[in-house]
Amino acid sequence: MSTFISGGCKNGKSFYAQRIAQQGGRPLYYIATMIPHDDEDQARIRRHRQERAGWGFETLECGRDILSCLDRADPRGSFLLDSVTALLSNEMFAPEGIHSDAHLALADDLAEFVRRAPNTVLVSDYIYSDATLYDELTEAYRAALAHIDRRLARCCDNVIEVVSGQILLHKGVLPL
Amino acid sequence: MILITGGRYQGKLDYARSRFGLTDADIQVCGEDTSAVDLSRRCIARLDLYALNRVRAGAEPAEELLADIDRLRDKVLITTDISCGVVPIDATLRAWREACGRMNNALAARADEVWRLFCGLPQQLK
Repeated sequence: MSTFISGGCKNGKSFYAQRIAQQGGRPLYYIATMIPHDDEDQARIRRHRQERAGWGFETLECGRDILSCLDRADPRGSFLLDSVTALLSNEMFAPEGIHSDAHLALADDLAEFVRRAPNTVLVSDYIYSDATLYDELTEAYRAALAHIDRRLARCCDNVIEVVSGQILLHKGVLPL
Repeated sequence: MILITGGRYQGKLDYARSRFGLTDADIQVCGEDTSAVDLSRRCIARLDLYALNRVRAGAEPAEELLADIDRLRDKVLITTDISCGVVPIDATLRAWREACGRMNNALAARADEVWRLFCGLPQQLK
């Protein structure tokens, strides 16, 4: 069963997503999407690794070209992809330049990922309700992430919003 | 009166279009330069930007809309929820954020239905 999760920062999305993924079968994979750029990123990765220690995850490093990680994994396993936000950032703001339409291919790839690996939990970030007038590029990023979120909300079995650690079901059933 | 809320890009206008069979001619999409809602249209979208215009003019969007509330009874109103970020440093944006909250609450209190869109999925709040 596939599950799409979104919500605000530090509301408990990742913790809930880890619990769902753990019940999704074996092998159990964590797709690490962040490409570290500085010491702060490295520290964040260390903290996330510590938080996942003991959960039984095998880590798949995959910051770009998300379908490629299925070449290294059993698609019948349980996957946790955290986060869609980081993947878009990697694809859109690539070292070789800005890809302003990266979200179109990424939405297709993620839909294909869920089709091939149906026991996947995907985590995104709800960045759509603040009172700020952003620059054009930031606004394009927000619209691009929303495009992917809406695509995933259509193709996933369950859609869940996490608010202050509480679970709000928008589609499907609560996996736990 | 139907009020549709939710964050940016969540599919609010798409939902209104498909549910009420709206065409472009039925919809006023407000911008930062919109100083008044167009009561000849069936649907008024981006009320948050209308509110920004009114705040910049020193006006209170909730009061202006409530003055015409009887002519809004048959409308589909779409607003953006901008209430969940950090308090803006800029004084105008701060005032905008609060004015939007008052406007959205006032409209929701008088609406027959209130919907919230999340990632393209509608949820009825009222």
